Amino acid sequence: MSALQTFMLVVDHDKEEAKRIAEGIAQDIENKKTKLIDTVQSLGEYINDEDPILRGKAVSYLTAVIQALSPKYLSRQQIQVLTTFFCDRIEDGGAVAGLEALQGLDRFNRLLASQVAQALFSNFQDLQSRSQSQRFQVYQLLNELMSTHREAMRNMGDISLLGVVDIMTGEKDPRNLMVVFSILKVVMVEWDISNHVETLFDSVYNYFPITFRPPPNDPYGITAQDLKGRLQDCISSTRYFAPHAIPALLDKLDSTSPNVKKDALNTLIACINSYDPDTVSKYSITIWETLKFEILNAQEEFLSETSLEALKAITQRLSEGVTEVSQELPLALYLKAITKECNEQLQEPQNKQAKPFQQILSCVSSASAVSFILIVQTVVAPIFTIYQEADGIVKQRALLETLNILFEAATDVFGQWTTRGGEIAVENPLLEFKDQFSEIFGQALMGAAKEEVSFRVTALKGFLRLSILRDFFQENEIGLFVQYLDEILLKEESVGRNDLKKEAIAALAEVSKHKPRLIMDITFPAFVATLPEEDEGLDALYLPTLETLAQISVERDIFETLFRRLFSKLTILLQKEQPGSVAYPRAILMTLLYVMQQRNMGQDQSVDLYFDKIVVGLCRDVAASSSGKAKNRILTDPTVLDTLGRLCNLLVRSVSIEKQEQVAENVYSLFTTNEDFAPVPFAQTTSADQERTLIISTYLLAGLSMDCTNRIPQASDMSALLSELVSRSISSTEPATHQAYLRHLALLVNKFLSKQDLPIAEKLFDSLIESSGAEPQTLSPATIRTIFWLSKALVLRLAPTTTHVLTSLLALISSPDQQTSTTAAQGFAILLGEDDIISPTNGATIRLLCRQRLFTTVIPLISSRIREVNIAGTDDSATATKAQDHIKPAHLTALAGILSTIPTALVMPELPTLLPLLLQSLDLQTADSIAVRTATLDTLAVIIRDNGVVVIDQCGHVSSLVTRLLKTTATNVGPGAVNSPRLRADALRCLNLLATHQTSAGADATTRAPPSISPLLPVKNQVLRSLRAVLDDPKRDVRKAAVDARGAWLRGVDDAPEEDD
Amino acid sequence: MAEMQNENPTILNAADLPTRLRPTATPKGEYAGIFTSVPLPADFLESAPTSDSEDDNLLEEPIDEQEIYDLISSISDPEHPISLGELAVVSLPDISIKPTLPDVPGSPLQTVTVLITPTITHCSLATVIGLGVRVRLEQSLPSRFRMNVRIKEGTHSTGDEVNKQLADKERVAAALENGALMGVIAKMMETCH
Repeated sequence: MSALQTFMLVVDHDKEEAKRIAEGIAQDIENKKTKLIDTVQSLGEYINDEDPILRGKAVSYLTAVIQALSPKYLSRQQIQVLTTFFCDRIEDGGAVAGLEALQGLDRFNRLLASQVAQALFSNFQDLQSRSQSQRFQVYQLLNELMSTHREAMRNMGDISLLGVVDIMTGEKDPRNLMVVFSILKVVMVEWDISNHVETLFDSVYNYFPITFRPPPNDPYGITAQDLKGRLQDCISSTRYFAPHAIPALLDKLDSTSPNVKKDALNTLIACINSYDPDTVSKYSITIWETLKFEILNAQEEFLSETSLEALKAITQRLSEGVTEVSQELPLALYLKAITKECNEQLQEPQNKQAKPFQQILSCVSSASAVSFILIVQTVVAPIFTIYQEADGIVKQRALLETLNILFEAATDVFGQWTTRGGEIAVENPLLEFKDQFSEIFGQALMGAAKEEVSFRVTALKGFLRLSILRDFFQENEIGLFVQYLDEILLKEESVGRNDLKKEAIAALAEVSKHKPRLIMDITFPAFVATLPEEDEGLDALYLPTLETLAQISVERDIFETLFRRLFSKLTILLQKEQPGSVAYPRAILMTLLYVMQQRNMGQDQSVDLYFDKIVVGLCRDVAASSSGKAKNRILTDPTVLDTLGRLCNLLVRSVSIEKQEQVAENVYSLFTTNEDFAPVPFAQTTSADQERTLIISTYLLAGLSMDCTNRIPQASDMSALLSELVSRSISSTEPATHQAYLRHLALLVNKFLSKQDLPIAEKLFDSLIESSGAEPQTLSPATIRTIFWLSKALVLRLAPTTTHVLTSLLALISSPDQQTSTTAAQGFAILLGEDDIISPTNGATIRLLCRQRLFTTVIPLISSRIREVNIAGTDDSATATKAQDHIKPAHLTALAGILSTIPTALVMPELPTLLPLLLQSLDLQTADSIAVRTATLDTLAVIIRDNGVVVIDQCGHVSSLVTRLLKTTATNVGPGAVNSPRLRADALRCLNLLATHQTSAGADATTRAPPSISPLLPVKNQVLRSLRAVLDDPKRDVRKAAVDARGAWLRGVDDAPEEDD
Repeated sequence: MAEMQNENPTILNAADLPTRLRPTATPKGEYAGIFTSVPLPADFLESAPTSDSEDDNLLEEPIDEQEIYDLISSISDPEHPISLGELAVVSLPDISIKPTLPDVPGSPLQTVTVLITPTITHCSLATVIGLGVRVRLEQSLPSRFRMNVRIKEGTHSTGDEVNKQLADKERVAAALENGALMGVIAKMMETCH
C-alpha cells in the first residue's frame, strides 16, 4: 500500500500516525529518494473522485507533506505550481492549510499572495454555510496574508476591501469575529476606503452592541469584553467613520439598558481619542448637547461619570497644539456652549441641578491649561457678581463651593508647591482675581457668624487650595491664612461638632508640607506661648494646643523645633518644687510619642539626639527621682513612667545595635552607677518608688533585639532572675508595679529565654500551680495573674508543654474556692490578648498556630465540663450543687475571654459545639455576667455577619437564639437580673444582622440555592411584637437600634419565598 | 418615569441639618483625641468597669422632637434621590410632641405632630410623602404614640384635601393595601438609617 493510501486510512482516527507518514515522505523528498512531483502525481487517482471527503483527504496528504518539509526546500517554481494547484482545489479540505503553509515561506511572492486572496474571495462566497472550523481556517489564512503580504493585499485595493467584507458578512462565532475584527481594522486604517466608507462601517457596526455572553466553562476563554474591545478599535479606527459612528452612537444613548449606554459611551470616548481634532471639533457641540442630558438625569452613577470623561476627552483633544488663547478656537466655541449653560444654572447654585453643572465645570476646566483659561475668563466674573447680590448664606456657600472646584482644577493644571516638574508656560488666569479671592474667602472665614460652620469650612477649604497652589500666593498671603487658622484654634470657642477646628488643624498640617517655615515662624511661637509653665487648675487648656502642635509637626524640620520647645518645657517642669498636676508633663510626653509614632524614626538623622535626651537623660532622672534626689515627684508617677517608657521603647527600637547593647547593659541600672541607685532585681531593700522604675526597665527591654541577651548583666543567671521576678510579683501590692513585673517576666520568658533554658520557666510554672496545696485549690489573685502571664509567654511561643499548661489552667477554674475560680476564668482573656509589650512590633515570639492550638485544646474541655455540671445540676441534691454554682459561669467567662481574642474564621468549624455554650452564656442574668454576655453578643454578631443565618439554622438554633436575644433586649427582666443599655443595644444589633444577612455573604450570586422559605419566618411575628415594646426603651441608643432591627425584620423577612433578581 | 413636577428644588447641605450633639465622652472635652491612643496603665484584671455606670443606666432619655426628626429626615423624596431633610420637606421646628390627654396628668399617651412642606405648592406627591412619614413613624414609635401628619398651612394648593386624606384612618389603611403604593413607600424608606 502506498504512503498516500495508508495516510488516508489513518488520518481520521490517528493524527499522530498520519503526521509521521507525511514526515517520512518529506524526509525522502529532501534526501532525494523520491520526488515531489511523484507525490503530487500519486494523488491523481483520488483527486477527481466524486466523494469530497476522499478528495479532501488526498489534498490534506499533500499539505501534510509540505508542512513537514524544511522551509528552504521548495524552489520558487515549485511554490508557484503548488499554489496554483491548491488555489484550484481551494474548496477541498486541507487546501487552505496548505496555502497557509506556503505563504509563510520566504520564496512566496506578492503575486502569489494576490492570487491566493483572489481565489479565497471568489470561491468562498458561501463561506457562512460552512462549519465554524473551516471558516476559522479561511480567516486565519487571510489574517496571515494580511500580516506577511500586506503590501500586495493593499495593492488589490477595492477588490480585497470588498472581498474581505463579503466573506465575513453574517459571521456570528465569537472566535471567528475576534480574527475578523482585527483583519478589518487593518483594512480600515491602511486601505484607501473613501469609496466604501459606509459599507465598511456597516460591516462592523452591525455587531454593536455586543450582547455575547460566554457559555459556562467556555474553553476558548473569549469574554464579551474582548469582543467589545476589538469592535471598539474598528469603530474608532478612522475619522472617515465619524459621520456614521457619532450620530449612531449618540442614538444608542436612547436605549433603556444601562449596559448598552455604557458601551456606546466607551466607544464614543475611543472615537474622540482616535479621530483627529478637526473631526472631533465638528461633532463636539452635538455630543455636548446629548451628554448633558445623561449627566443631568443620570440613571446610574457610572453613566454620568463616563459622560463627564467624554466631555473631558473632547476638551483635551481640542486643546492639542493650541498655544495661544483666542475666542475663535474650536475649543473656545465648544467651551462657550458649555459655560453658557453653566452660568445660567449657577445663578441659583444651591439648587439640585447646580451640582451636575459643577461636575461639568470641574472636568472640562481640569482638562488643559488652555481650557482652564477660557473657562476662568467666562465663569469667574459672573460668580463674583452673583456673590455680591446673593441674598442668603446658603447661596453664597454654594458659590464658594463652585470656586473651590475651579481651584481644584487649577491644582490639577498648575500643580502644588511641592509638585516637581511639569511647569506650565502660561500664566495662571486666577492671578487676575487673586486679591478678590483673598478678600472674599478671608471675609467668609473670619467675618461670618460663628454658627455658620459649614460656610466657614467651605471658605477654609478654598483658602487652603489657593495656599498650596503652585506660584499663586506670596508668602505673606499664605502667612495671613496661617494666622487666621491660629486665631480659630487659639481664640475661638468650639461650635457644634467642632468641624471648623478639625479642618483648621488639617489645613495647618497641609500647609506645613508645602511651607514649613511659615508654620515654624507663625504658628509655633503663637501656640507655644499659650502653653502654661505648669498645670494650674481644672481645665487642661493646653491639651488642644498640644494636640494641634502634634498634628502639624510630622515634617522633619518642624518636628525638631517641636521637640526642642517641648523638651525644654519638660526640663523646666522637672526642676520645679511645685510642678502642679502630673497630667501636664504626661501630656507633653504623649505629644512627642504621638508624633514619633507618625514618623519613621529609624530614618531620622536626629534620632541619636532624641535617644540621648530621652532614653539616657530622662532614665537617669527617673533613677534619681526614685531615690528621692529630685526636686519633685513627677518621675515617680506610674502614668508618667508608662508614657515615658513607651517613648523610650520606640526610640530603642529605632537606634543602632551598638546603642541597643548600651541599653542592654543599663536595663536595670538606668545609666547610673551603683552608688547612686540600686537596680531593682536582687536589691536588698526597695522602696515603692524604686520598684516603679521597673516600668521603664520593662519598656527598654521590650525594644531590644534578641541578640542583646548576653549583654544584660542580670540575665547571666536566668533561673535566679525569673524566680526573683515571680516572688516580687506575687508580693507586690501596687497595680502598676505588679503589672510591670508580670509583663517583664512574660517578656523574658517569651523573647529572651533560649530554647534549652525553657525548662526553667516550665518548672517555675509547675511550682506556682503546686503552691496552692492539694484540696481545695486556693491561690491569691496575684499568684493567679503571675501564672497566667507566665502561661501567655509559653503559649505564644508554643512551648512543648503548652497542652499541659492549658489543662492546668482549666483545672484552676474548677476549684471549689470561688475567688480562685473566678479570677482564673478572667485570666483566659490575657493569654492571647493584645499587649503593647509582648507584641509583634517588639519582636515577641508569636507562633502562627498558637491561637488555633489554644482554641482546639481548650474548647472541647470547657464544653464537656459544662455538660458535666449541667447533668450534676439535674440529679444531685440541692446542697451538693450549691458549692458548685460558680463553676458554670466561670467556664463561660473563660470562654468569652478566649473568643474575644480569636478570629472568627477559627471559630466556625467548632460552631456546633460552641453555639450551645454561647446560648447558655446569654442565659446568665446577673450584673457580674454583663462582660461575658457582651463578649458573647460580639462573637455572635461577627458569626452572623460573616456567615449569615444559614450556619445557625444548620445547627438548629435559630428559634432558641432569637428568644434569648429578645430576652436580652428587655428592660424589666426580674429581680437580680440586669440588662445594661449596651447589652440591649448589642442584642438588637444581632437581631438586625440576622435579618440583613439571610444569605451567607460568601455565597456567589450564581451558585445561590433555589429560593426557599427564610428560617426566620416562624419567629417573625414574635420578634416584631417584642420589638414594639423595646421601641419605648428609656435609652435613645437602644431605641435607635430597635427601630433599625424592627425595620430590617419588616423589610427583610419576607412571607413569600425570596425572588431572584 | 413620569415627568418630574419640580426638576430643580433647592437643597440644604447635609452638614447644616439639625443634629443631636452627643455629650462628649470625657470631661476633658473632645480634645481627648491623640491622648486617648495611649491607655492609662489600667487597673488591670479588676475587670475593667464598663462605661455605663449605674447613674447612666438610670438616666432616662425621653423621645423628643430631634429623635422624631432623625427618624423621618432620612426618608428619600419619591421624585429625587434626596432626603426629605435636605429638601426641607420636614424640619425640626415643624415637629411637636404633646400629651394626647392634657387633662389626665399621668397618661402616657402622646401625640406627635409633623407638618410637611412640599417643595412646590401643586405637588401631587404630597400625599405619598405624608403617607411615607406616617408609615415610618408607625413602624418606629411605641404604641402609646398617636401620629398626626399634616401639610403645613399655606404651602399646598389642595392642602385641606390632602390633610383629610392623611387623617382618615380608613383611607390610610386602604392605601397601605395598595401594592404599587407600598412599593413606592418601601423605596422611599430604603435610605432610612
